[in-house]
Amino acid sequence: MTNRRNFLRTTGGMLGAAVVSKAAMGAVPEAALQTSPQTQPPLEPSNGRPYQPVVTLNGWTLPWRMNNGWKEFHLVAEPVVRELAPGMKTHLWGYNGQSPGPTLECVEGDKVRIFVTNKLPEATSIHWHGIILPNGMDGVSGLTQPHIPVGKTFVYEFVMGKSGSFMYHPHADEMVQMAMGMMGSIVVHPKNPKFMPVDRDFVFLLSAFMIEPGAYTPKVAEMLDFNLWTFNSRVFPGIDAMPVRLGDRVRVRIGNLTMTNHPLHIHGHHMEVTCTDGGWVPKSARWPETTIDIGVGQVRSFEFVADNPGDWPLHCHKSHHTMNAMGHNVPTMIGVDHRGIAEKIMKLVPDYMVMGERGMSDMSEMEMPLPENTLPMMTGKGPFGPIEMGGMFTVFKIRDGLARNDYKDPGWYKHPQGTVSYEWTGAPLATERAPAQAVSAPKAREFRAVKPSGHSGH
Amino acid sequence: MVLLTACASFSPDNGFDSVKNAVNQRTSAEPRWARTDAERGEVRQAVTSLLGQPLTADAAVQIALMNNRGLQATYSDLGIAEADLVQAGRLPNPRFAFERLVRGDELEIGRAFIVNVLSLLTMPARTQIEQRRFAVAKTRVAGEAARVAADTRRAWYSAVAAQEGVKYMQQVKDAAEASAELAQRMARAGNFSKLDQAREQVFYAETTAQLARVSQAAVAERENLTRLMGLWGEHIRFTLPERLPDLPKAPQQLEQAESDALRQRLDVQAAMQEAESVASSLGLTRVTGFISLLEVGYQHNSETGKPPQKGFEVELRLPIFDTGNARVVRAQHTYMQAVERAAELAVRARSEVREATNGYRTTYDLARHYRDEIVPLRKRISDENVLRYNGMLISVFELLADARQQVASVNAYIEALRDFWIADANLRSALTATSPGATTVSRRTSAPSEATAAGH
Repeated sequence: MTNRRNFLRTTGGMLGAAVVSKAAMGAVPEAALQTSPQTQPPLEPSNGRPYQPVVTLNGWTLPWRMNNGWKEFHLVAEPVVRELAPGMKTHLWGYNGQSPGPTLECVEGDKVRIFVTNKLPEATSIHWHGIILPNGMDGVSGLTQPHIPVGKTFVYEFVMGKSGSFMYHPHADEMVQMAMGMMGSIVVHPKNPKFMPVDRDFVFLLSAFMIEPGAYTPKVAEMLDFNLWTFNSRVFPGIDAMPVRLGDRVRVRIGNLTMTNHPLHIHGHHMEVTCTDGGWVPKSARWPETTIDIGVGQVRSFEFVADNPGDWPLHCHKSHHTMNAMGHNVPTMIGVDHRGIAEKIMKLVPDYMVMGERGMSDMSEMEMPLPENTLPMMTGKGPFGPIEMGGMFTVFKIRDGLARNDYKDPGWYKHPQGTVSYEWTGAPLATERAPAQAVSAPKAREFRAVKPSGHSGH
Repeated sequence: MVLLTACASFSPDNGFDSVKNAVNQRTSAEPRWARTDAERGEVRQAVTSLLGQPLTADAAVQIALMNNRGLQATYSDLGIAEADLVQAGRLPNPRFAFERLVRGDELEIGRAFIVNVLSLLTMPARTQIEQRRFAVAKTRVAGEAARVAADTRRAWYSAVAAQEGVKYMQQVKDAAEASAELAQRMARAGNFSKLDQAREQVFYAETTAQLARVSQAAVAERENLTRLMGLWGEHIRFTLPERLPDLPKAPQQLEQAESDALRQRLDVQAAMQEAESVASSLGLTRVTGFISLLEVGYQHNSETGKPPQKGFEVELRLPIFDTGNARVVRAQHTYMQAVERAAELAVRARSEVREATNGYRTTYDLARHYRDEIVPLRKRISDENVLRYNGMLISVFELLADARQQVASVNAYIEALRDFWIADANLRSALTATSPGATTVSRRTSAPSEATAAGH
């Protein structure tokens, strides 16, 4: 789409000297760079074995070169600035200009040679998550290989044995480097292009960050209390929609590199898990679902037939994962009468405004100034008003009449007459309810604390 | 003999003019000595008119210099000293003795006119001593007036700052009250536990107690000022300005502070005059030490039937038992004492000036640091917290706790500013008038603890 630039990142001299490879190549291939966070169109293979390329949600596929039957990629581990959504930029570590890094695509049986140049301030390595390969290529620094020192380039060489969906990520100072956004997807296409073909094939990773409001760099020591839940290091409303032609068979491959599981839920369709990072699931073992749970470190590919036109969300069903930065210690204000107090507070804090009295929707309705580089916790406007979502949320836009390879956003769905929920304007309906309960707890039983005995001497 | 005539009468101002000038130079206010009912009436009127508008520091000093009754009592020292001087310039009255003796029909009449010659001879010297004593008295009275002026100035700064402190404490209380009330309503709606509610409630309760304390302190400071100005009755309802004067743009440059102080300080001057006066009385004692009394008399005796008998009589007590050296030794020690006292005062004055100069610079820098660094930073933190509240990242309770911190930082600035102005008064005093007393930086001004806020 836009901004694709191939940089000559490495000129023969310096890195050539760094690479002392048994393969004795002439030079390291150019490392392509991506500066846009937008979804790039599929990269049709120009050489090697043919396949149906994937679309990386808010990402791109890394170009390669063929060299004596080897498919050569060049990944550069480096600090990057990633836009999580318009209005928020973060200082992450990634590959080739973006976090997550580019998707590596190849075909079952391909001989791949991956150059990894380390431009981080510390040593790194890459582990090829889920791929079966020789032990010394597994990328576990210290165990199966030396660390890749700062400024050096290492080479990984192996054969892609099995088709499916995989991931890559560092196995050196792993917690920090993953917390900083170092990861990418690997798609290995079947040798036979007719094996389980789909019309649209999307791929992305789940990752989570803790970035203090007003800050730019994730807190790498965070274990659980993350505040930004992402699809490919993007949060709604920064996540692109997935346009789908009506009737298309759609595959979505999702890898989870967060520290918790994510029940991904789709609206309007049933789906089946057809592949994991362990391999393809036999038809007899699949069951239909609308929510699939993706555990930590797992990859799940689900498929469905897009036979129901409209705008259908795909989102994590942990409701706080569809929120952006929010206070986790704010008390509930629902139902609290503020009359007379707001004025008192305003005397001290002139910009004070009552919020949360009715719930948190106030947040998406009022546009109030926030700390710099901070996204509202729920936002994004739909055709009918605020969507009140953030984080892990996007939409399948299923439309009739899209071209086969058309990934342009088709805009909001135009509902046929009479298919949208509407306000009842007839006579009020009688509703019978049980009498409301008193707020104070009924005085059923009184408990009495019994002091530990045997301390009478005190 | 010139002095004799010159000083034998009272001056119209009792020496108050020179006191007035000395005090005026040092305090830019004019002391007044109200000696008559009419003058007292004028003072009362002047006080009333000065109290008509919010009281400035200068006006407070002006009022103290004319209305502080202790100071009025001190002014009377001038009259007493001048009376001594006038007394010294007058001769002791000559004595006239008359005797009439009868023996049978014999009548004997004796007349003697006796004059104390020594006092006549020492009169110029004694007049000079009293002159010096009078000068000492004038310097001391001026010093006392300057001290009261400095005390009043300090009391004014403390009173204004304390009054401002009450205002800010009131704001803290308002914030705590809002928190407590909100917490109560949240508990009522079922959103807050009893523990959380009690925490907010206890903070409010403690703040109320603190406000009472601060208010009492403000009353005490104001009463101190009232006492120094000698006010009572309807005059105590004076108003103070809302705020302390701003920090000067730049601090004073003080290059020759020590020598300036030795030249200008009234207590140093008084000590030196005292030593001089003691020195001249030592000289006199030396001269007159062994002569206790020299009296010259003229006698005229007439007896019945005999020609009158006339002649002189000189009486001199012989220094056999008392040679006068004890008096001379005493006078010598008194003199040495005066000299040492003056030297001690000079050393102290230099040290006090150094301390006051340092106190002045430190408090100036501190006040500026509060004004330019801490208060703006607190403001920025508050602004940022409002943004976080907007994003529902923090709660209203944290917002209120932060507002209290901001209020506390403004209050700490006011205390720092007060400390500066008090240090300024101390410096002025140390340089020109008298010992300023301790000039330590107030330790009450401490950064508000974050711990209190964190709990909310």
